[in-house]
Amino acid sequence: MKKKLMFILFVSLTFLLSFGPNLFAEEGVTDTEIHIGQWGPQTGPAAAWGAVARGTGDYFKWINDNGGINGRKLVYHMFDDGYNPAKTKAGVKELQEGTGMFAWASGVGTSPGLAVKDYFAKKNIPWVGPASGSKEFVNPPQKNLFAVYPLYEGEAKVLVKYAIETMGKKRIAIGYLNDGYGKNGLRGALSSLKAHGMESVAEVPFEAKDSDLKPHIMKLRQAKPDMVLLWVTPGQAAKVVGISKAMKFDTQFMSTSTCSDFIFMNYITKGAWEGVITATFGEVPDSKLPLMAKYKEEVFGKYAAKEERWGIFYYAGILFVEPMIEGLKNAGRDLTREKFITAMENIKGFKGIGPEVNYTPYKKGDIYSRQGTSQTFLVQCLKGGESKQLTGLMSTK
Amino acid sequence: MEYGSEQKNTGGHGHFNKEGIMIDFIQMIVSGVATGSTYALMGLAMVIIYKTSEVPNFAQGEMALITSYFAMMLLTTMNISVYLAFFLSFVFAAILGAFLEFAILRRAKEPNVLGMIVITIGIEMIILGFVSWKFGAEQKVMPFPIGPYDGFIVGDIYISKLDVLTLISALLFMIVLYLFFKFSKLGLAMKATQQNSVAAQIVGIRTNRIMMLTWGISSLVGATAGLLIAPTAMQPFMMWDPMLKGFAAAVMGGMTSLPGAVIAAYMLGIIENLFGGYISIEFKTVVAFVIIVLVLCIKPSGLFARHYVKKV
Amino acid sequence: MDMKRDYYEDVQLITSPVVFFWFALLLLLLYLFPFFVDNYYIYVANYIAINIIVATGLNLLVGYTGQISLGHAGFFAIGAYGTTVLMVKLSVPFLIALPSAALIAAGFGFLLGLPALRLEGPYLAIATLGFGLTITQVIGRIELFGGREGIHVPDINIGSWIIDTDKEFYFLLITLTIFLLLFMRNLIKTRMGRAFIAIRDADIAAETMGVNIVFYKTLAFAISAFYAGIAGGMYAFVLKFIEPEIFTLLMSILFLAMVVVGGLGSMMGSITGAALLCWLDLKLRNILDIPYVGEWLKSLSENWFSLTGVSNIQYIVFGSIMVGIMLFEPLGIYGIWIRTKKYWRTWPF
Repeated sequence: MKKKLMFILFVSLTFLLSFGPNLFAEEGVTDTEIHIGQWGPQTGPAAAWGAVARGTGDYFKWINDNGGINGRKLVYHMFDDGYNPAKTKAGVKELQEGTGMFAWASGVGTSPGLAVKDYFAKKNIPWVGPASGSKEFVNPPQKNLFAVYPLYEGEAKVLVKYAIETMGKKRIAIGYLNDGYGKNGLRGALSSLKAHGMESVAEVPFEAKDSDLKPHIMKLRQAKPDMVLLWVTPGQAAKVVGISKAMKFDTQFMSTSTCSDFIFMNYITKGAWEGVITATFGEVPDSKLPLMAKYKEEVFGKYAAKEERWGIFYYAGILFVEPMIEGLKNAGRDLTREKFITAMENIKGFKGIGPEVNYTPYKKGDIYSRQGTSQTFLVQCLKGGESKQLTGLMSTK
Repeated sequence: MEYGSEQKNTGGHGHFNKEGIMIDFIQMIVSGVATGSTYALMGLAMVIIYKTSEVPNFAQGEMALITSYFAMMLLTTMNISVYLAFFLSFVFAAILGAFLEFAILRRAKEPNVLGMIVITIGIEMIILGFVSWKFGAEQKVMPFPIGPYDGFIVGDIYISKLDVLTLISALLFMIVLYLFFKFSKLGLAMKATQQNSVAAQIVGIRTNRIMMLTWGISSLVGATAGLLIAPTAMQPFMMWDPMLKGFAAAVMGGMTSLPGAVIAAYMLGIIENLFGGYISIEFKTVVAFVIIVLVLCIKPSGLFARHYVKKV
Repeated sequence: MDMKRDYYEDVQLITSPVVFFWFALLLLLLYLFPFFVDNYYIYVANYIAINIIVATGLNLLVGYTGQISLGHAGFFAIGAYGTTVLMVKLSVPFLIALPSAALIAAGFGFLLGLPALRLEGPYLAIATLGFGLTITQVIGRIELFGGREGIHVPDINIGSWIIDTDKEFYFLLITLTIFLLLFMRNLIKTRMGRAFIAIRDADIAAETMGVNIVFYKTLAFAISAFYAGIAGGMYAFVLKFIEPEIFTLLMSILFLAMVVVGGLGSMMGSITGAALLCWLDLKLRNILDIPYVGEWLKSLSENWFSLTGVSNIQYIVFGSIMVGIMLFEPLGIYGIWIRTKKYWRTWPF
């Protein structure tokens, strides 16, 4: 018993000694540096979304090589949280209380984000562009949190509205992922249906782990819809559309912006994705916008890893962070968190490669004081993965 | 195909009449059988290993995974025929299985079941990490002669060609392996090794070789499943769900019975599809497991295995 | 090992004044720990402590009673959701909510123990696995619990003390952990503990001797579920936001791995196993920051592997450590400790 205790003590001491000395948590800003942090699922089932964090990293490298921001370089701290909120919180705490971040950029995932949302709010640490369109991030709005991703609810409303009003669809079925992402989309779709005096003909929940999607397709088919709204993972959407086509299940498929990477979707469905209509949260991969071409050549071309693909997840990392860079520039050389937040609030009509971004001074009940984007446009997949723009900008409010 | 705003006639299948309901029912059964075939292959692979070493191999899925990625690598980087690539992949799978047994499982001293399970879990993590590291997490496309969505439409029922191929493989493997275990000398040697490895060694059976062979064969069967799943979705986590369901099916059928695993796998697939189609999609996996537990309550060693009564 | 002269000495926790001294020192260290380190490490300590509780409970079931469970994330979830829902929806104070939720978990543990009476090995594994899956699905269905979108967890308040920092939480948690560990240790030493061990070693013989298998097996499930429930309840406060998807099969597998790698049937083993695996889990993502190794790995990735997937090395290291420990010593970390002790006892021969 005595020896056991000694052993425990020995181990505890070594354990303790392995910790570093107390570091005084800075505000994340020095004369030459601004520290920005981000988490991303670099491993685990959601690892495809890891490209977002890498995109931001490459974008920051490009900014630094082109002069930085008001004479400071951006120091980027990215860590892998494997889409596990416990790890997200651990990493955030480690970086925030260790090196000390000035602000946080993007960050993939609704549940990882929600796990740290209150922590940031309490310390009034600015956070720009969470990679999630869940309403929870802006409802109720928080002074420190600036959302860039258009609300899932809003996107769904636009898609359903278009289907009913422009395409004349009468029977709408919805396949949704059984989590915050899918449920938000479902709610948006249902509210739009209700506004038109209609109901859905089927609502089919998908589990993230489901690999056999035939029961879901059967259920959707049974309802004989003329439009099916898919709010699931891109891989699942691909399967559904592919198998449905092979089954001669004839219907109009619509999906959310996460499935708007037509070149990719076309590739993995071997062409079956043709004809699908999706919303967008920014430019499409083959957009002709000069800024897109610039990013593709200068950011992606120069800094991206060999296996990286120029897809929406990658440039989403740029898209979500553009407003933050704008805010940092406008805050000026004398950089504090308060000044940064004020600079963000003054962003009006900012357009990067995403939708137009507008913020207003913080108002307690006003979602759109902190939800920067409220527009999207619809595109349709053509043969070979090209996209055809179907609508102009539509409001998601 | 054009998607206009005209009302599309979605008729042809699924009318709300007896014929439509019948067709839906048959389609569900067919889909269930298709899914069940994949589970059957994984279940078979697990039963083979369990039959000889009493270890549930949690690394089964990942072994199939790495073989599929190996095949993809061969097909995309080298210009060889598909059949040659598959043949090489099978060889790879067999060697991988044998190697794992030789290098790791055998080295475990005085193993207890839980320790072996943890070892297989560890191997699974290593292989998963390795595949994700080498190939990245994004979904890839497997160059396969049969497209993932190619199929036949018989009447109004859709069957994909891949499903047919999986079905044939599953049944073929089941028959071949069953006959092998029952009638061949090698099969007999395997059973002997499982029942009492010391005694088997005494009568001259080279248990080490038998174990390696078992793992090799099991890996091969699993690899078939992997290669047939790959065309529809190729990403590092694609084998988790089939492996789990395959394991569950093997348990329900009896971990020592090959036909049992296959039959249970089909039952599982059909139940899932029927339940999902008629009652609740959300709970289809849960119900499948509940049924398995109920089955086990009645027959604790699975449906088709002989109940091993522990003697004092 | 010290010679025991009577039953009391065998059961006694503190066998001599020297032991008492070291014990007191350990307690002192544990309580002073938060004042010397960064807040982040307190968070890590909290996370580890929670997993130690689960591992200890699971060890009773797996190590001492010889069963198997791949569904302990389910009990963990019941504890987390139970505590949160009781506090949020029914305004039950924390001090009552936590034990109640754990008791509910224990009740489910008892229920799970019933089919377990007839099952063993992989059959029991699948049954428990199914249970874990069912629980998360059912919880996700109940809108009252926030459904699949999760529920926010309030701060703990005991009387007028509101706990909103990691440090305060740590004190509460470490007291709870120590208490639970002592309870478990004493439980093992009593008649009940011996009954559990008897079931593991030779259950038919035990039954012949008068050990009520039904009672003890279900009790083992219930107690281990209780521990998992308490740990789950505390975990909710660590995360501040819970949803059903967090309680995955992988979590159950990790719990089991902690117990096995640490050493079945040894409390010290569970503690070290939990501490090691949690530490690795949280820290391995920094593997690329290690000075030389990180650079080498990155260049290796660029040439042979994908740079985008380089973080997956974590899995490889984690798996290798698990396999390595189990291969080297099937009795786990505790086994390594025993072996080292034996070696030094007879050194230099």
